[in-house]
Amino acid sequence: MRLPDRVTGLFLVGLGAAAAYGGWKLPPVPGQPVGPNVFPLVIGIGLALCGLAIAFGIGHSFEEEEEIVPFEGGAAPAPQGKLYGLRALLPPALLLFYVVVAERVGFILTAAIIVYVTATALGARWKLALPLTIGAPIVIHLIFSKLLRVPLPIGLLPMPW
Amino acid sequence: MLDTLIQAFGLITTWEVIVAMLAASVYGLVIGSLPGLSATMATALLVPVTFYLSPIAAIATIVAASSMAIFSGDIPGALLRIPGTPASAAYADEAYAMTRKGEAELALGAGVWFSAVGGIAGTLSLMILAPPLAEIALSFSTFEYFWLALLGLMCATLVARSSPVKAIAGMFIGLLVSCIGIENPGGVPRFTAGLTDLLGGIEPIPALVGVFAVAQVMRAMLTPEPPPIPRRKFGSILAGQWTLTKKYNWQMWRGNIIGIIIGVLPGAGADMAAWVSYAMSKRFSKQPEKFGTGHVEGLVEAGASNNASVASGWVPSLLFGIPGDTIAAIAIGVLYMKGLNPGPTLFTEKASSMYAIYLLFIIANIMMIPLGIVMIRLASYVLRAPRSTVMPVIMVCCAVGSFAIGNNLFGVVTVAAFGVIGYVMEANGYPVAAMVLGIVMGTMVEQAFVTSLIKSDGSILPFFDRPISAILATMAIGAFVWPVLVWLWRRLKPAATAAATPSR
Repeated sequence: MRLPDRVTGLFLVGLGAAAAYGGWKLPPVPGQPVGPNVFPLVIGIGLALCGLAIAFGIGHSFEEEEEIVPFEGGAAPAPQGKLYGLRALLPPALLLFYVVVAERVGFILTAAIIVYVTATALGARWKLALPLTIGAPIVIHLIFSKLLRVPLPIGLLPMPW
Repeated sequence: MLDTLIQAFGLITTWEVIVAMLAASVYGLVIGSLPGLSATMATALLVPVTFYLSPIAAIATIVAASSMAIFSGDIPGALLRIPGTPASAAYADEAYAMTRKGEAELALGAGVWFSAVGGIAGTLSLMILAPPLAEIALSFSTFEYFWLALLGLMCATLVARSSPVKAIAGMFIGLLVSCIGIENPGGVPRFTAGLTDLLGGIEPIPALVGVFAVAQVMRAMLTPEPPPIPRRKFGSILAGQWTLTKKYNWQMWRGNIIGIIIGVLPGAGADMAAWVSYAMSKRFSKQPEKFGTGHVEGLVEAGASNNASVASGWVPSLLFGIPGDTIAAIAIGVLYMKGLNPGPTLFTEKASSMYAIYLLFIIANIMMIPLGIVMIRLASYVLRAPRSTVMPVIMVCCAVGSFAIGNNLFGVVTVAAFGVIGYVMEANGYPVAAMVLGIVMGTMVEQAFVTSLIKSDGSILPFFDRPISAILATMAIGAFVWPVLVWLWRRLKPAATAAATPSR
């Protein structure tokens, strides 16, 4: 997801301006010249200036173009499609899924779903994905819940330990 | 002194520490050797585990895992030409060329041997540099701390292998993230958007896990799987390393020293050390034409350098709470949690713990040689583990680990959000290490800045009054002006040559 510098730069200008404005609006501490408002103000202005510089291409000459080393023996090139880029959003989406569902469904089932989806998305066949889906959540549950005493949600499938 | 040393020995010779260290070493070796899983990620995922350990055992796991991971990144570099960690990227081509010449044992042996030597040299630097610096640091006021923190942030932007403007922007983003929450001079909720979960601010550790682990899984979704490693038998790994040590003694020491210096600089870590040392080795070599064809000289220097930087990165972390690299940024978080708050007084009040840390580093680097050899022999099996089995486990560990930090599901949201932020930043050339440094140091910078401003009654002059603060100020401002001057010079030079050509 490579965006033009102009876009990211202008986004930073907006972010910086918002931060500076938000900081400026914070209530000052009575009887004190500097309060919680100064730091965000300084940072917001700095960020906005950086964003401007980036949008105008200043400092671009320092960037080294990343050298992409082709694998020897050539793995197949990634298929390119319109929706292919959206696959990258799968991991954070799964984490949010965990947040929403874990309390009700329980750790083991939620983790199993996450493992299965990630493994299949990375091209695992069912022979590999299935044992992993069953094994990994149980082992992780054992380590975190039993050994490290993290209170993981029990949900629908309580573990015998 | 001897008493403290004996006490320190007592601290590390407990079963808990020994078992934790061995387990963390194996973990570090495996994670480091898998392409795409970096040493920083290995350390970040370890943090939830350290919660339940005693302070010294917690530090032992961090030290062991990070040192081992930096070495074992060399293994897939040599065998597949894919660096296991960014720190090995500088010389992966060279090591792979050696393997193709049939010198895989020599390349991997140099990796393990000079990594250990570099690590021990880095530890010595930590032992020698830190206590006298702590003496000086005792007299620091908020003005010095402000400039020091600023210098640290500027260093991180200077050494980034990217546009310095983008690095500075990344740093500002990190500082902005650190503004969130109630922990500010006025104690008012700031940028919380009314959410109670944000009142406590953004915890650095979930942010780090997101930036380094989740973002990596996101990248894996879009990149093809690396090819499997060919099975092979290895001869003696350490054969010929002593000859190399004698032959390239000077290169080894130069690597150690460069690694130490880069490690001490805030924000610049093992990967930078390896790049600089490899370039330096080539530049000063008697046989520069051999570089790139499977010549061991650069491997010696850069291999020593990246491991030296791991230990010396702890110098500013322990002294000032300014992380020397991203791994040290995690270590600082752990130190705070364990009541070993970084600061110069640590060296007098908790001297035995400090000695224990030195000892842990030395032991970890000695253990690296036998464990590293075992790892090299097993590499063809470990590296066969397909990505589709490793990444799902990492995903679940991210979720559970970030939950465990505060027993709070908001941590998982933080991890997901920073995964996206880290991924987008990386893809657009914004160095994430600068942002991480901003998040870790933000509160400290603000506190020093605002306290100084209150003390000086809003005037700028006292910031330059005290001698040390004046020196630090000059350095910090210089670090900012330098790229501007370079940019101007580059701008003006083509203009001048263009103007000169037609007149001829």
